[in-house]
Amino acid sequence: MNRKIKLCLLFLSPLLFFGGCSTHTRYVETSGPRTLNTTEINIQDFSYAAEDMIKSLLASGALDKAPKQPAVLAISRIINNTTQQIDTDMLTKKIRIALNQSGKALTTTTMGIGGIAEDPLAQSMQQEKDFYADKKELQRMPDFSLSGKILEMRDRLDDVRQVAYIFQLSLTNNEGLAVWEEEKQLAKQEKKGVFGW
Amino acid sequence: MKKATLALACVLMGTAVLSSCASVNTVERETPVGTRHVITDKRVITDETLATKVNIIGVNDATTPGGFLQIQIEVLNESHSLQEFNYRVEWFDMNGMAINTPTSVWIPRQIEGKESLTITAVAPTPTAKDFRVKFMENVRDN
Repeated sequence: MNRKIKLCLLFLSPLLFFGGCSTHTRYVETSGPRTLNTTEINIQDFSYAAEDMIKSLLASGALDKAPKQPAVLAISRIINNTTQQIDTDMLTKKIRIALNQSGKALTTTTMGIGGIAEDPLAQSMQQEKDFYADKKELQRMPDFSLSGKILEMRDRLDDVRQVAYIFQLSLTNNEGLAVWEEEKQLAKQEKKGVFGW
Repeated sequence: MKKATLALACVLMGTAVLSSCASVNTVERETPVGTRHVITDKRVITDETLATKVNIIGVNDATTPGGFLQIQIEVLNESHSLQEFNYRVEWFDMNGMAINTPTSVWIPRQIEGKESLTITAVAPTPTAKDFRVKFMENVRDN
């Protein structure tokens, strides 16, 4: 009897051991409350920042001041001044989509900083069309440009570490005046664990 | 000796309780100049604890100069301690169809004890006519 129990335990223990080592992967809603949270800048931070920016921009009515509706928007430089390598499209794309859906602004993909178009093929197509149509006024110029900066501030007191991210955006009209500006700040705190960070 | 230990424990527990309860005092104009367009709301409460901590005082709406529906929800933390919660706003068009937007996310907020907080949201399109706001306790492991 004793031997039987021993054999049974010998058989079951590897199962228990390896069963505990298996990984479980599941999908989570990227816009949901169960995404992972770390002090690094992550997907939900861009969503929170974009949500606040869009809310402010639409409520301001700044885009309604364009002479022709919907307004044409060009994306300028979004400077990443954080310690992390991030693609600023994480922020600007959300804003572009929301503006497009709102019907208040359309983004040009044929104009960019230094004459580099976001979509070179669309730029060629447009130039060719304008050439054959013999248009005098070649392209509708953007009414506004969107520029900004993402900043990072780090603080530490005893065993608590704080990282703050500051999202700044400016909407400038074609007279060079910033007609809308907004800032969104996000701060995250992390408490030091027993065995370090 | 036993009495002294008991008294010390009581003092320590009292201190611990009081130190975690930092509530907010407020002051405002007795008769507000601005008038809110308060709307009648329908509430579905499935989490009574959350409803006590983050009590919805009222909802009012307005329209932006660009024709977007704007809503404001005033919530009050009925407890004496800091509470964490998430909220999400959903928008619906004239036909009751949900409007998908990249900015429709669960947003985390903190509210101090006895603090009132205003949450604002702007509709993503001028076609949005109705809304639904969801509240949820913080489910992230911190």
